[in-house]
Amino acid sequence: MSQSTCSEPHQSAPACSGFDPSSLTATFGAPCQDGRLLPTVLATLTRHEALLAEIERASSTGGFCWHVYTGKMTCTGEVYRIFELDAAVPMTLQLLGTRVHPDDLPLLHDMTERARMEANGFEYQLRLSLQTVKYLQLNARRSEDADGQSHYIGAIQDVTRRRLSEEALGNMRCELARVARVSSLGVLTASIAHEVNQPLSGIMTNASTCLQMLGADQPDIEGARETARRTIRDGERACEVIARLRALFGKRGGKTESVDFNAVTREVIALSLSELHRRRVTLRTELAEELPAVTGDRVQLQQVILNLLLNAAEAMSGIEDRRRQLLIRTEPEAADRVRLSVQDAGVGFEPHDAERLFQAFYTTKSGGMGIGLSVSRSIIESHGGRLWAEPNAGPGATFAFSLPARKSDCNAKRLGTVLRPAVAERSTRKP
Amino acid sequence: MADASLIAIVDDDVSVRQSLPDLVRHFGFKVQAFVSAEEFLASDCVDRTKCLILDIAMPGMSGPDLQRELARRGQKIPIVFITGQADPDLRRQLLAEGAVDCLFKPINTTALLKALNTALGLS
Repeated sequence: MSQSTCSEPHQSAPACSGFDPSSLTATFGAPCQDGRLLPTVLATLTRHEALLAEIERASSTGGFCWHVYTGKMTCTGEVYRIFELDAAVPMTLQLLGTRVHPDDLPLLHDMTERARMEANGFEYQLRLSLQTVKYLQLNARRSEDADGQSHYIGAIQDVTRRRLSEEALGNMRCELARVARVSSLGVLTASIAHEVNQPLSGIMTNASTCLQMLGADQPDIEGARETARRTIRDGERACEVIARLRALFGKRGGKTESVDFNAVTREVIALSLSELHRRRVTLRTELAEELPAVTGDRVQLQQVILNLLLNAAEAMSGIEDRRRQLLIRTEPEAADRVRLSVQDAGVGFEPHDAERLFQAFYTTKSGGMGIGLSVSRSIIESHGGRLWAEPNAGPGATFAFSLPARKSDCNAKRLGTVLRPAVAERSTRKP
Repeated sequence: MADASLIAIVDDDVSVRQSLPDLVRHFGFKVQAFVSAEEFLASDCVDRTKCLILDIAMPGMSGPDLQRELARRGQKIPIVFITGQADPDLRRQLLAEGAVDCLFKPINTTALLKALNTALGLS
């Protein structure tokens, strides 16, 4: 195992820079009368410190003690290693500050301020700007020394690897969601063509009629005007289809906004209506009035609704002995959630399959990739919600998801929020 | 044009129901538009309709469903199908089952007039 240069000064005191032998006196009382005991105690201590250093190294976690008023800071070797500082240099908050990412310096000031206000503890996520960016998790709690002076004892953990894999996972999820979206675009291609073709067809007919009316022996000016007006209306209709398509399939990063649940549901329905017609599905909607908004990525939520809709239609494709009835319902759930459910009258599923449905690449369709539901679930969970399936009492199944209404900080982490002051109550104790 | 023939248009698409009647009227026919096959069957136009301009894909009863239902009832109304999905196989099949024509949207005006004239035996 290679030792970095900065940890070498710890030969005598492996885990703690600025180690003060007199602290032993404080810990163990008066110096030992029995000279034979001292080496044993020292050996034990050395062993313990070496063990602690190993643990720190293994967990990428360093410890510190910070006296707010004197500014004095004692850190373990791992803190020096994380901050890539020479362990011979006395540690101060200012010195740490030189390594902190400029954008996160306000967090350090915030921490100082909280400390001066005697906060019981704090928790921060900080970035270091070294050769590469490091992500740190800092937790500390307040205590008092014998003189009643405040200090903070805490831990700094290098969470870079975890953070980077979270980011990679997030990117992967976005990419998978895009793939799923594009594959549902494939499913909808015929319907979308139909959707655009309808108003275009209207435009052509109107224009022909208009020409006929104007070309007659006695031109019908008023009739021609009316057909021209209808041409414009049809043109607008075609534009709306394109706008909806852009909204759903355009390339756009994760954007968090307030989303009107009913409005996005209606937009998805409008896009998939002709696909449903083609599959001879009758659609019933029950959209609750005055539904609270949710916070999230509009496109992703639409994608989930679209997936559920297409799945439901697919599940009914072989049904001939009953109506292919599909019900979409939005409703409030408890006081602070909203729910959307899609009920079909299709082939349904066995109760023990309820969870398998959501596994990636599990599919019952010949042309399906089996990622729709698993992607949908991960989208809903990243919004702090829940997606589930249950068999109906009658034929078919119901897929539903619920999301927290309006206030949702579920995406905050992914969007790079670094400041997260935890329970920072003010101390009620007098110093 | 008191004795103009009645043409019924059945299409769930609003653009068609708004644009096509005027054109057909301009050709000199009487026109009635319906949003669905069911609505048409429930109307009092069935017996008077001389030609049906019929969409293929509709929610509920489809165009071919209506064609079969009319045949079952012994109603011999000439049918001109219109469809947004250009499917030559389906077209062939519908013509084989007695349809006058099957036009793909957007509809060619001349082809429509020709089909209507054929349907009504007006050369």
